[in-house]
Amino acid sequence: MTTMTEHAWQALKGVNAETATFPARASFEGEGIVVFRTKDGYRGTQRACPHMQATMLNGELTANDTMVRCPLHVFTFKLSDGKGVNCAGFRIKVYEVRREGETLYARPAAI
Amino acid sequence: MTAKQETTVLKGAHVIDPANGIDQVTDIMIHEGRIAGVGEHIIADDATVVDLTGKYLSPGWIDMHVHAYGTLGFADPDTVGVYQGVTSFVEAGGPGIGTLDEFFALMTDLETDLYVGPFIRPLGLLGLNFIEGDVRTLGDVPITRWVDTAKQHRDRIRYIKCNAMGDYGPGTLHVTKGLAQILGVPLYMHIGEFQLQTPDPVLAYEAFKIAEKGDMITHIYHGNLGQIIDDEGKIMPVVTDALERGVLFDLGFGGYNFSWDIAEKAFAQGIVPYTISSDLQQFNVIRPVQSLANVLSVMMHLGMPLKQLIECVTVNSAKAISLADRAGDLSVGKPADITVFEIEGGRFELMDCYTQTRTADKRVMPAMTFKNGKRFDADMTRGQAESNWFLQIAEDHIPDATAQLSERQLAFLGKLGTALSETDWELSSAERLDIPKALELQALFHRVREQSDLPLREALRAVYDSFVDNKFTMQIGLFLMRLERPFALSRMAEMAAKRPHLAA
Repeated sequence: MTTMTEHAWQALKGVNAETATFPARASFEGEGIVVFRTKDGYRGTQRACPHMQATMLNGELTANDTMVRCPLHVFTFKLSDGKGVNCAGFRIKVYEVRREGETLYARPAAI
Repeated sequence: MTAKQETTVLKGAHVIDPANGIDQVTDIMIHEGRIAGVGEHIIADDATVVDLTGKYLSPGWIDMHVHAYGTLGFADPDTVGVYQGVTSFVEAGGPGIGTLDEFFALMTDLETDLYVGPFIRPLGLLGLNFIEGDVRTLGDVPITRWVDTAKQHRDRIRYIKCNAMGDYGPGTLHVTKGLAQILGVPLYMHIGEFQLQTPDPVLAYEAFKIAEKGDMITHIYHGNLGQIIDDEGKIMPVVTDALERGVLFDLGFGGYNFSWDIAEKAFAQGIVPYTISSDLQQFNVIRPVQSLANVLSVMMHLGMPLKQLIECVTVNSAKAISLADRAGDLSVGKPADITVFEIEGGRFELMDCYTQTRTADKRVMPAMTFKNGKRFDADMTRGQAESNWFLQIAEDHIPDATAQLSERQLAFLGKLGTALSETDWELSSAERLDIPKALELQALFHRVREQSDLPLREALRAVYDSFVDNKFTMQIGLFLMRLERPFALSRMAEMAAKRPHLAA
């Protein structure tokens, strides 16, 4: 029996990589996340913006796909570490995401 | 300069100049930056003629609520000024008494006339991630300094702003009202509780009680806690009472402050703004606000007639903030501040600040602006450029602007870094902003600056140019506090090492 560690890859639920349109809703360990399709592949973030809880499903990739901005008040976060760029003190959870066939796998990004 | 360049005739536009009762096709002559004539078929030898047939022309628009400076400001505020049909605007609360000197030192190169309504809190507005809670965070109200500063900058200070929100209680509104009375300027109050808290009492209604004739209340159609209508959709008596006393209602669209639902209900009951302002800032320029013109389109869709729309951004604004001696109408002799615009037909989605949109079949679109006679063609996209709204610290490179820094500025950065190394700070959290620390860093900056005998502007630019590619400005204490400490110290040391006499 394998022991799952905190940072093991997990298959994302509620999303089919073949048919999904991105940004896509998905579920990671029961928690709603959003998966973005970037130039380099995929990246996940928490579902709600920490500012006013707007959904990041409407988030827009910016700065050459290295950041995501919330549609409501352009709070912008780095996809690398989740740090707020124009909103010091705010941060979002970010996830590494990779694809195998129809399945997307994710784990919390190492920061 | 030739006479041809000094005289311009604007021909064939439909001129709307409410203050002078003009609402017809006529010509305007501009000479040496001023209105030189209004009338049909103006002919001037050697004048530049601009054919504006099919367009509208009004006095230059006045936006009495924008955020050009500080934590909400832009790299280039003219992008939401003369490039969008606005010839004068007011910074609504960016600086307070403790940062007005920084504001005046930095905001000097604009084409658009910039006025200021300072905030009651010494540092000014602290950004969106600051929850308005404990009354003590309002800090000191140094009357002597206020009076002296207001005397020195009487021409720029148009009102005093406070936020009727948070858990401060109504006393703070009275304090601000008292200060406004001492300084002889109107009180300008934000209403609407957009933060995640439910104070008691809700200060919006206290604001309506405290405001006197000539005082202003902004965000009248907001959809947050403290709305102007009750649960049944009826206008609150406290609101109509204020209106009858002569309190002026301002729109202040903003990122949180306009609800289609509230606007439609209030408008139907005759509650309309006296002035229309945008509340443009870096966090709402992409959407929903975009421009003052977009806000006018919203009000047009709500049912406000064109002539009244223009009144709300020209003569009414000029009267409300005592600019009528220089702006708001096209009288001969006035500065030639003019907005040329069109009413475009089509299908336009107009958003509020929540989730509602309305589909309009026409919108207001600026074509060009004249500021003191100088022409600016409208550009509705440059305000939305990332470099304008996105303050990003240059962590991985040294900004090009540092090449212009003088030896004294570089030496100052070295001394500042040394002084900062003796104190500690960390990035503020989302929930809590360390105001005493921001004040300490600000005081430290000023102490080193005075020791270096460096003018304020040069000292501020030395810091900003070392860390930011675009010309954003912010309260210096808050700016230093948002830098990661080790990075800030190493960058300042790196800059100091660039001094020419050290290079060889």
